[in-house]
Amino acid sequence: MYRTAAKRLFSAATHSYHGNLHRLRLRPPHSQIFIPYRSFSTSEDQPFPIPQSPVHPETPLVPDSAPSSSPSPSPDEDPRTRGDKYQDEKSRVLHASLTHVIKLGWTEAALISGAKDVGLSPSIVGSLPRKEAALVEFFMDDCLQKLIDRIDSDESLKTLTPSECISKLIRIRLEMQAPYISTWPQALSIQAQPVNVPTSFKQRAMLVDEIWHAAGDNASDIDWYAKRTVLAGIYSTTEIYMLTDTSPDFRDTWAFLDARVKDAFDLKKTIQEAQHLAEAVSAGLGNTFQGFMGKVLRR
Amino acid sequence: MALRTVTRKLGNKFFPLLSSTSHLHSHATSFGFKEVKEEEKAAMVGNVFSNVASNYDLMNDLMSAGLHRLWKDRLVSKLNPFPGMKHLDVAGGTGDVAFRILERINRVKQRGIQRDFEDILEAETKIYVCDINPNMLNVGKQRALQKGFAEDGSLVWVEGNAESLGFQNDSMDGYTIAFGIRNVTHIEKVLSEAHRVLKRGGRFLCLELSHVGIPVFKELYDLYSFSVIPSMGEMVAGDRESYQYLVESIRRFPTQEKFASMIADAGFQKVEYENLVGGVVAVHSGVKI
Repeated sequence: MYRTAAKRLFSAATHSYHGNLHRLRLRPPHSQIFIPYRSFSTSEDQPFPIPQSPVHPETPLVPDSAPSSSPSPSPDEDPRTRGDKYQDEKSRVLHASLTHVIKLGWTEAALISGAKDVGLSPSIVGSLPRKEAALVEFFMDDCLQKLIDRIDSDESLKTLTPSECISKLIRIRLEMQAPYISTWPQALSIQAQPVNVPTSFKQRAMLVDEIWHAAGDNASDIDWYAKRTVLAGIYSTTEIYMLTDTSPDFRDTWAFLDARVKDAFDLKKTIQEAQHLAEAVSAGLGNTFQGFMGKVLRR
Repeated sequence: MALRTVTRKLGNKFFPLLSSTSHLHSHATSFGFKEVKEEEKAAMVGNVFSNVASNYDLMNDLMSAGLHRLWKDRLVSKLNPFPGMKHLDVAGGTGDVAFRILERINRVKQRGIQRDFEDILEAETKIYVCDINPNMLNVGKQRALQKGFAEDGSLVWVEGNAESLGFQNDSMDGYTIAFGIRNVTHIEKVLSEAHRVLKRGGRFLCLELSHVGIPVFKELYDLYSFSVIPSMGEMVAGDRESYQYLVESIRRFPTQEKFASMIADAGFQKVEYENLVGGVVAVHSGVKI
């Protein structure tokens, strides 16, 4: 199953969203692509969409990093480029379908409307491997790409402390989902379906890796896994909290996020202190015990 | 099994068309394991069909042990039909695939589409069933009446030749050919006609008996094909020859990979195939971009 996820990663890299997705950074300490499976609590089945009007009326898709629609009027060059044409058209359809998601949900109906908008027959929806999941995954990749662009362009992030940086990045990323918040529970349940879990897990792993890298991570070995797991936990819980947040501008969600990040960093300090304490105690105990046994044995 | 086809009856109105093509190329083609002239093949296939039409469905069930229903279900589910689509089923004489598509579309409608979506669907669903053999079409029309599909006019029965369809360019959302492409004289022509009539984004799907590669299973399958099927044909339909032709024509058909490359050459993209029952049947699909 990681092979399919890895293939997807490579195909995304090669087809490259028209060359925009120029970096897919994954830096696990040992192997190149494969990340050990940890169960993410990213999704819970919430069948009823939370009735909440999106607070952010911004258009969800920023033109500069969204996959540009490039209809190829040029004649068939060779079979190699023909495969790209299909990928181009597929991206266009998915992109157009996103605008229908708010009304129609993450469903085939949205995909069919998107195909019609682009001028293609809705039959093309049948050629997508896991239809609604393809739309959700496209959106996740799109958001990740926008996040990467934002990280690259925003110099002020470098001046923040790690905890602030992480907070800010998660907030930026979740704000991209804000327009779709009313249908996001459906998207989460789609991602939770067993057939879709490998891809959604992979996407979240990439996201978490990206955030840690931007926050200045130099860890290796077990720390790398621990950090990403913790961050994934923070991200997921905040995401789910956001689903039921009715405060203006999602204020409560950001407060929740800051509290969680603080907890995580505090926990790290606490663990370190506990380690020191344990070492000191065991050293002291060891001496006391030695002395005691010595006395006992000498008798 | 399925002698889905574009067949030509002896002395019918297409005969002038036959003779005109014979001026262009008088090559040999295969009729099972025999080599015959191209113009003769159509006539011979025509004979085969007129012979099998009446016992067609029964023989299908016997030869495939009822599996052909599942194969056609798989074809339709891959097609993923939607309400308002214009679909062309070629060599679909008795209507199996067309009925399944209609049933599926009606089921989707019943599940209740949101109001907004229905506004978008002003177009009416139309399934065109095209076959070159009127006998097969008649059987299909009868079955449609029995199933109750005849009322709303979404099924249109057309007599026509897969190598030169009477439909306009870019007019169809979907094109299926189930167990028919093996019998045509020029596969490339059928593929390019399919490419012509499909809209951009339209899909081509082909269900066909194909080649088995698995070692032991292959031998069993060959044994079954060459021993059991012609005898079954003799006993049930009284026609050994037609079923001998059938199993031989399966062997002469291009392999899955070769056929996929032919589909790609016709201009389709995202060409892939899925083997069912280890390669006994394969579903090839492609998208017109």
